Amino acid sequence: MKIIGLIIVVVTGALLIYAAADFPAWSDPASPASTYLSPYFIEKTMEETSVPNIVTAVLADYRGFDTMFETTVIFSAGVVCFFLLRISRREEEEPETRYYRHVLTGVTIQLKEGYKIPPSADFERIDAVWTPPDLIIKTGCRILIPFIQLFALYVIAHGHHSPGGGFQGGVILGASVILFAISHDLRTAVRRMSEKLIGILCAVGVSIYAGTGALCLLLKQNFLDYSALAGVLHVDPITARSHGILMVEIGVGIAVLATMIWIYNNISSAGRYRQGL
Amino acid sequence: MSEQYPALLVIVPLLSALVISVAGWVNKRLCFPIAVAALGVAAWSSVGLLFRVLDEGVIVYKLGGWSPPMGIAYYIDYLNGLVLPVVSIVALLNLISSKKIVEQQFPDKAGPFYTLYVLMVTGLLGIVVTGDAFNLYVLLEIASLTGYGLLAMGEERAPLATLNYLYMGTIGACFYLLGIGYLYIVTGSLNMVDIARLLPPLYQSKAVLAAFIICMVGVWLKMAFFPLHAWLPNAYTYANSASSGLIAPLMTKVMVYVMIRLILTVFTPKFVFNTLAVHDAVVWLAVIAIVMGAVLALKERNLKKMLTYIVVAEVGYMVGGAWLGNRAGLTGAVLHIVNDALMTLCVFLVVGNIVYKIKGYAFGDLKGLFAKMPFTMGAFVIGALSIIGVPPTCGFFSKWYLILGAIQAHQYGFMVALLFSSLINVVLFFRVFEIGFYEPFSDHEGHEHHPAVMAEAPLTMLVPLYVVAISLILVGLYTGDIVNHIVQFVIPKGFM
Repeated sequence: MKIIGLIIVVVTGALLIYAAADFPAWSDPASPASTYLSPYFIEKTMEETSVPNIVTAVLADYRGFDTMFETTVIFSAGVVCFFLLRISRREEEEPETRYYRHVLTGVTIQLKEGYKIPPSADFERIDAVWTPPDLIIKTGCRILIPFIQLFALYVIAHGHHSPGGGFQGGVILGASVILFAISHDLRTAVRRMSEKLIGILCAVGVSIYAGTGALCLLLKQNFLDYSALAGVLHVDPITARSHGILMVEIGVGIAVLATMIWIYNNISSAGRYRQGL
Repeated sequence: MSEQYPALLVIVPLLSALVISVAGWVNKRLCFPIAVAALGVAAWSSVGLLFRVLDEGVIVYKLGGWSPPMGIAYYIDYLNGLVLPVVSIVALLNLISSKKIVEQQFPDKAGPFYTLYVLMVTGLLGIVVTGDAFNLYVLLEIASLTGYGLLAMGEERAPLATLNYLYMGTIGACFYLLGIGYLYIVTGSLNMVDIARLLPPLYQSKAVLAAFIICMVGVWLKMAFFPLHAWLPNAYTYANSASSGLIAPLMTKVMVYVMIRLILTVFTPKFVFNTLAVHDAVVWLAVIAIVMGAVLALKERNLKKMLTYIVVAEVGYMVGGAWLGNRAGLTGAVLHIVNDALMTLCVFLVVGNIVYKIKGYAFGDLKGLFAKMPFTMGAFVIGALSIIGVPPTCGFFSKWYLILGAIQAHQYGFMVALLFSSLINVVLFFRVFEIGFYEPFSDHEGHEHHPAVMAEAPLTMLVPLYVVAISLILVGLYTGDIVNHIVQFVIPKGFM
């Protein structure tokens, strides 16, 4: 079996190399990819969309429809993780024994058969096997996280002018929350951002993108034709395209942020939402 | 409004999936009605589109208002005009049937289930409607990803079987993307019509040849064409019946559509059948696919798995028909996309009903089933007759065209394979009928003979089943109209 696999890999590789012989030379300015559409984008992007970053304009406007579905791919990944991994309370085997820790004194209390202590600042719920979060790491991360988030917002907002945009900014934002969950524990993170909020944010993010497109449709233009927003935003159609791109970038950012956290929560706790990593 | 049908077709399910996802957190009971409404709108738009195509010819819809090749465009012609209603209606019927299954098996997860379900249909519709080769890949990603999620929810072995599918499916999708990348390097365009316009001077290029091979192998992986089929039977068998009822009829058929689209629109028949001239070899592969699918199905002692091998054999029918390279063969292949989607839906809905009531689908569980679930089994007989190819069910007519095409192309091997697989199907299904009809319903080695108590599936499962079963006969009776008004325009002029 291994030999068959090897043969297939070699044949596929050979085919790809064979095909590469007919490719245009590396970085050839006369290659079809550079001469066919690229000049149009380079010359017209600024005057048609007033976005200096051509990549952003192609991504979010000329081929904005693809990007909307890329965001949907991320959304579906989050939903799939939740659908397959999340263990609902009904499926849990027996009424569990709960452990609480008195934060100030470090005294641990064990409660059997589903008794619980109402949430308060004095007690925190912990797992049977509990590793105390390290104070230095906790404090270090608390200092770092606001700056990470600020940078993320910059990346989203500055996608028009520099590399960046919704996907990258959303990932950085999500990473900051995941860093919080790693440095503290999952329960604390989920208290700050509940499962329901994350699940809804995911859908809201994609809805901002698809909703912007649908709004154009309601304003008697084709789907995702941002120039239709000119009347609503009180600007000329070209600037409206630029603003439309910003709107969808924000949507992408929210969707990616929420999905990152959602996937992390479900995978790191195997769908049980306990202490996590 | 009707000029926005192409957008509505995809956007309404997409937005509804998002609403369902939120509704799953707020009130779970809202999820199902929203899903039905969404797919209802999609079905309405797709039928509306088909009639517009019949009136006006090809429809072009520019997304974002950018004209191709700068932006993305939807092209609706006779081919996808025919496939779109099939996809949306099959999905809608199975959705209605899935309500009870979801309530029985995972009531807590109704929200994410319907979200994924509607998203998957969005993906499938998007694949069929688009005229942009890269946009097709993005939608393919959505359809695959949600499909993996849906299939992994099921029996204990479902996640592992789906993981296997995920590996194979990802390789398939990557191959397709790589092929499109090659085409982009040599032409600079992603629009299908535009690529077809730029390709003729490059027909001798090795890069185009490689692009074609890679695309085809990728699509064959996704549709489970014979040597690449190994992932399909387990993944479809162990999944819950609500998911397998959506994916078994549609995923493979949509990929066959993609293959035909690539051959007809992107690479053009001139390149595929005249420049390359490998179609004889592919038809022989299809022959092996049909024979192996039939033989492997014969080996199974388990209804659902037997049906999955029939799906593998049916893929061979369609690939072989499309690669015969003549008018009759292609007509048969396109017609068989429609018919096979309906037939597969019919038998998988039957399995869904049986699993819902009996909790099993091994041959041993089927004893006395005609007495216990007479309506379900009645529909099963119609579905089975159609798969065998008995007139007036639709399965007969597409097989007729395929055999006609095989004779015209002098591919007698393909003709023999079709007849052979029909005979095997007779054996397969009459074996099931025999168990269901003659063997008394019994538990534990036949000690307890229950009187034949009727325990039929609920109406929400029977009504969709009968709609499909009757449509099998209606589509069969109106085959002539479908061919004369739609399918014959699919085939490009100058095709023999």
